[in-house]
Amino acid sequence: MGTILTVDHLDKSFGKRQVLHGVDFFVEEGHIVALVGPNGAGKSTIMKAILGLIPVNGGGVDIKGQPVSITSHQALRNVGALIEYPGIYPFMTGRQQLALFANQHGKAKNVETIIAAMGMGKYIDLPAKSYSLGMKQKLGIAQALVNDPKLVILDEPMNGLDPQAVKDLRDLLRNLAARGTSILISSHILSELEKLADDVLILNHGQIIKHSTMADLEQQGGVGYTIEVGNIDQAKAAMAMANHPFETVGNAIILTHAAAGDLNHALYALVQGGVAIVSITQQSDDLEGAFLDMVNADGGEA
Amino acid sequence: MGALIKQEVYKQFHKRGWLIATVIMVLGQIGFGVWGKMQPKWFPADALVSEDYIMGEIVIFIAVASTASIVSMEYQYGTMKQLLYRQYYRSQVFVSKIITVLLQLAFLQVVACATTFILTLILHPSYDWLAEVGGTTTLETYFKRVGGDLLVDLLLLSVVLMLSTLFKSNAAAIATGLVGYFLITLAATLLLVAIGYWHWLKWNPFTFLLVGAQILNPNMAHSTFMSTETMIAGTLVYTVVFGFIAYLSFRKRSI
Repeated sequence: MGTILTVDHLDKSFGKRQVLHGVDFFVEEGHIVALVGPNGAGKSTIMKAILGLIPVNGGGVDIKGQPVSITSHQALRNVGALIEYPGIYPFMTGRQQLALFANQHGKAKNVETIIAAMGMGKYIDLPAKSYSLGMKQKLGIAQALVNDPKLVILDEPMNGLDPQAVKDLRDLLRNLAARGTSILISSHILSELEKLADDVLILNHGQIIKHSTMADLEQQGGVGYTIEVGNIDQAKAAMAMANHPFETVGNAIILTHAAAGDLNHALYALVQGGVAIVSITQQSDDLEGAFLDMVNADGGEA
Repeated sequence: MGALIKQEVYKQFHKRGWLIATVIMVLGQIGFGVWGKMQPKWFPADALVSEDYIMGEIVIFIAVASTASIVSMEYQYGTMKQLLYRQYYRSQVFVSKIITVLLQLAFLQVVACATTFILTLILHPSYDWLAEVGGTTTLETYFKRVGGDLLVDLLLLSVVLMLSTLFKSNAAAIATGLVGYFLITLAATLLLVAIGYWHWLKWNPFTFLLVGAQILNPNMAHSTFMSTETMIAGTLVYTVVFGFIAYLSFRKRSI
């Protein structure tokens, strides 16, 4: 499998505010890549740039070796997307909207398939103006997928979906990826991305601060502890004396990827050093933990 | 491009508003036709036929409302991104919308004309389309009127399209389009007075809204200070200019 999408040193400013700083990443064919980041980190901007919807100030995007820009859209022929919120014509039924976009590519037969896959049969012939938020979201996702795209860009697709619909979407996307479709997806529901994605991009302040596979992230993970202490300098000295690996944030000693007994050893060293222990917090190093650790280490949220 | 035009036509077909308005137009034409048959002193056949049984004249209102919303609805419904992220360019999307507007205008005019011919055949079977008045047959005069109206419609629709690219709401765009129509046509008439004093004013775009009237009555050249050919050419030039400004505005708009 090769690379389907390459984002190369992408810079983007809105007025004097630079929102993307040399963003670099790639998406491999058949992979599901999670793009996570705090609000305002630049996720939607990256997605819009990939889709040639906004001009960029530097760098570039290519899909299967073909450049994409606001004036070059040929490479988008096999791309489906849902950006920010679903665009719905209220005067049409869901089926008519799917037919509208499917007809564009001569893929009318896909309409029934995607209706069944998304579980929209009960309401697909009602006018879209009567749809709930979740129904509209499903229709937006269906519109993105109806033309059998090779690359799918989904920005917060789980917004408004009920748990069953989230699971159905996850299964659908996994099936698509197994058939070779590449998916770039952003969501604030990190537990879902953890179940879904092969690769993870963590974005903060308009920069990719981590590009890893989900497997690597899980392998690196373990349990972490934050030990808040009365005197951080005294605590640093005690930990150094005990030759125990640690990091510090503010008045806290951080033990990352702690193995069994690490917490006991650290506490012993701190008590021996006469350090007052204020609190101990345990974190599991899942995607959420990794995300928060990295964003905090990068100076907090965008 | 063909797919984009098909897509635009499909959307327009599912927007019931203008189809309902078209049905109302035809029913209105029939109504005036029957009324005119019963009260020929109020509505002489000649006047009814030449004016598309009065209601046929609302073609421009339907077209203005439809044109005003063809761009603004995409912003209002959040569908612009879906149109633009595909393999098409903004210019292609815009041109497909212009072609759809033209097809719609042509369709409306054909319906109005066809209803006029059918009604005349049924209600006034003896009406003589080939009767000559001032060296021109009634049929020629009718088509000159339709042609002149279409030229004026094109100019007005290009202005409405230009204004509609500034709006994010259908209702605002349609209201502005219709109010703009009345203001612009009113301004055109008032301008004739001013042109009498300052001839250079004739080149303003509103003067060209009188092209239809001048095609029917070439003597108007004394008021517009332009030949009919110049008026026709000027109308087309202004239509293209406003259309181009509309495109620039559409291209610059952020998503």
